[in-house]
Amino acid sequence: MSIVEVSNLYKTYGPFEAVDNFSFSANKGEILSLVGPDGAGKTSIFRAVCGLIKYDSGQIKIASFDVSRDFEKIKPLLGYMPQTFSLYPDLSVEENLYFYAGLFGLKRQQFDEKKKLLYQFSGLGPFHNRHAGALSGGMKQKLALSCALVHDPEVFVLDEPTTGVDPLSRRQFWDILKNLRAEGSAIIVSTPYIDELELSDRVIFIYRGSKMAEGTPGELVQKFVGQVYQLDLLPTSERMQQLNKIEGITSRRFGASVHIYTRGSHTIEEYHDDLRRIGIDPDLITPVQPELEDTFIQFMGN
Amino acid sequence: MVRTILALMKKEFLQVIRDSNMLRMVFLMPIVQLFLLGYVASTDVKLISTAVYDDDRSGLSREYVRSLSAGEYFITDTPEISLLEAERGFRESRYEVALIIPRGFSRKLQESKQVKIGLMVDGTNANSASIALGYANVITRQFNERVTGFSPPITLRQKRLYNPEGESVYFMVPGIVATLLTMITMLLTSMAIVREREIGTLEQLMVTPISATALILGKTIPFALIGFLEMSVALFLGVTWFRIPFAGSWGLLYALSFLFLFTTLGTGMFISTISTTQQQAMFLTWFFAIFAIMTSGFFAPIANMPRSIQYLTYLNPLRYFMTTVRGIMMKGASLDVLYPQVMAMIIFGITIFTFSWLRFSKRVK
Repeated sequence: MSIVEVSNLYKTYGPFEAVDNFSFSANKGEILSLVGPDGAGKTSIFRAVCGLIKYDSGQIKIASFDVSRDFEKIKPLLGYMPQTFSLYPDLSVEENLYFYAGLFGLKRQQFDEKKKLLYQFSGLGPFHNRHAGALSGGMKQKLALSCALVHDPEVFVLDEPTTGVDPLSRRQFWDILKNLRAEGSAIIVSTPYIDELELSDRVIFIYRGSKMAEGTPGELVQKFVGQVYQLDLLPTSERMQQLNKIEGITSRRFGASVHIYTRGSHTIEEYHDDLRRIGIDPDLITPVQPELEDTFIQFMGN
Repeated sequence: MVRTILALMKKEFLQVIRDSNMLRMVFLMPIVQLFLLGYVASTDVKLISTAVYDDDRSGLSREYVRSLSAGEYFITDTPEISLLEAERGFRESRYEVALIIPRGFSRKLQESKQVKIGLMVDGTNANSASIALGYANVITRQFNERVTGFSPPITLRQKRLYNPEGESVYFMVPGIVATLLTMITMLLTSMAIVREREIGTLEQLMVTPISATALILGKTIPFALIGFLEMSVALFLGVTWFRIPFAGSWGLLYALSFLFLFTTLGTGMFISTISTTQQQAMFLTWFFAIFAIMTSGFFAPIANMPRSIQYLTYLNPLRYFMTTVRGIMMKGASLDVLYPQVMAMIIFGITIFTFSWLRFSKRVK
């Protein structure tokens, strides 16, 4: 059941179109990920959904309330975690939580119960007296999430919550998101990490304010057109430069190796001569199955 | 609503307590200002070092010198000196006053002839010079009466009301109370709101069900209370340490201070809507405050200002509060004489607070 409905959203900053006719919906009990390069419009969309910016046209509905008209009714349903850490660094973990609980009208007793739960999943319990400013990056993000969770919202909007967080904390963070999903919340999250997309129920590729593709991670992989090859050589910038001069194929860094994409039904054999000319042994190239990242690169490249 | 305001208030207090700079400002400012202005900015003229050139060297001339130095105003314990030395002493600031008693002083007095004695004053500080001359005049008149046994037909019976000893601290402390309340409430309000904008929490607050009204109240009430605390510290020290008399009603002083807070809190809120960083807010607050204090009559009387500036001071809300605080504390003024000030403060308070309220609400919506 969809709880967030965004249709034909437009947002401009002067002549710059940040969001261009963007529509999507998010359902209860699912994690929806938005992924795209910096400046793609993710933050603008999130801020519009959370009633923080006015948009030029389109409609945003949360639980059938219109964001631009009935925002006060939406606030209790909504939990928002902005991209930058926005808590009080001079207050302790518990004071931050208690403050947000107070803003949502929780009584002391309700807070004490809620607090136990939040400490349980976040692991912040032992640090409850520590000032928020003195927490590690991962713990800060967990505290921010806890503050956004204190009032049991049904819709979570998380703007790059794991950016700059260590891999272990990232995994723990996603475990929390999965628990929230199990409880029936709708989670809308943006991330620069492709591996996190695999944990999402649905993914939207966004580029320059427009939706490029949407689907489950499996569906999106299927949308890859052409063949993927892996070249087991380090992607030095000199090598990448030479590879990119070869007409007809696209080469991208892929971890410590290179992925080479051919178009349509073309195969890598047609380019062996070109590769040899720049000193690459075709034996180092093996065909591989496309991954989500390949699809993402392809969409962003077009 | 009440719960959210309380949550916000509690948080503000916690933050003030956590911030050592803020804490220093809140608790040291009243004490430092009070002692600095109470002692250093004293306009009292006492212990004036006086050079005496007595060319008469008679019993009578020495008696005149003694009567001059009898009070606490003139010190003449320097040995008798020549005119040349007196002049150099002036330039070296060793002397502020030089007394010249001409030869024949006692003879002429005994013959009931008119005598002229010279009094030179260092006029660098116009204020203290005229005060010194005033003292000398009074002492000379009293000496005249005593020696000749004759009083002139017209004498002024002077009476200084409200501050008989002319203690400048009686005048300064109420002024400090007024400026403290202005500064601290304006500064804390503007900086606390801007800080939330700076660290991004203001946006976070917008997503919670807190209303603009609750936000404004939660952000102003704590600073109003801190302002009252500051004011009470200053008043307490004023009454106990400086022993200033408090002529009027404490209740009225606090009630009218509360009224004035609408102006300062409103201005603080306004500053927060036009600043993006705490530095900007701090600078703007000082900018407003300096203007307000200089044209409030805190140091220099408004009547001494150029006419055009005098008209301008009517636009300064602090002017009315300054008059109110001094009126209540020094003269025991009550509402029936303070109503023009009260009316002005009501008008300024409502206008500034409403304007800032609307502007702030619009900015956070």
